Amino acid sequence: MSSVNGAVPTTIIVAGLLLAGYALLMTALNRRMGFGLLVALGVLEILLLVLVGMVVAKLIGGGRPASLPTLIGYLIAIPIVPVVAGFWGALERSRWGPAVIGIAGLVAAVLMVRLHEIWPVIHV
Amino acid sequence: MSDPTTSAENAAQAETAAPTEIAAKAAPPDSTRTGPGRVLVAVYALFALSATARAAVQIATKFSHAPVAYLLSALAAVVYIVATVTLANGSRTARRIAFLSCSVELVGVLAIGTWSIADPATFPDATVWSGYGSGYGYVPLVLPVFGLLWLRYWAARSRRGD
Repeated sequence: MSSVNGAVPTTIIVAGLLLAGYALLMTALNRRMGFGLLVALGVLEILLLVLVGMVVAKLIGGGRPASLPTLIGYLIAIPIVPVVAGFWGALERSRWGPAVIGIAGLVAAVLMVRLHEIWPVIHV
Repeated sequence: MSDPTTSAENAAQAETAAPTEIAAKAAPPDSTRTGPGRVLVAVYALFALSATARAAVQIATKFSHAPVAYLLSALAAVVYIVATVTLANGSRTARRIAFLSCSVELVGVLAIGTWSIADPATFPDATVWSGYGSGYGYVPLVLPVFGLLWLRYWAARSRRGD
């Protein structure tokens, strides 16, 4: 069985960790939410949507993970993470706004590892 | 010799000229969901969502495989939901309930963590709290501690009357 190209999940892990590092640096420097963080979050969101599309294509192509409900849950939850974090973080007018964005970056990276555990054809 | 008036003016100017993205000398958070609470509520919401989804899938698809573990997963999910909602609400009553749920969570992660190591046969499948939350980077162990510290800060503020 062919596997999902690992370049996208790997890019998401790197992007998520970079976003987390940048955002937590902003928190450490006592900065508020800025435009740059929202743009970076938008890039992460696009990458996640591409990945969800790739996994859905794999499912349509007839592939099946061990637990289909779990995978579908992940496919629904993954694109929501940056959106919710963006709104929740933007509401906060202190250093803790960027911290919320940083957590979203970490979560995106962790979800890629989890996704691989749920369905090993999704390489990392 | 510097003129004290001028240096005070300079200081005032320097303050107003500070870049806008640098937070002003932070006013104390106005509720349990703002300031550091923003992060706390976000992480609690994440765990509420993932624990609920996990317990739902486990109970719906393979309950007999590890009933104790799955029921404890469901309990953890409820505790996370209650903590999320009450920390986001922040009223006096909500803070009491939040204190209770964070305490249950801390006792739960310590008890289930110990139980899962002492008696692995009962836990053929992991819960959020197995191995003190090792499957979740030990966040389940640290989270209630931060929750309780945050609530303690609010209790102290409430006693001071602000």
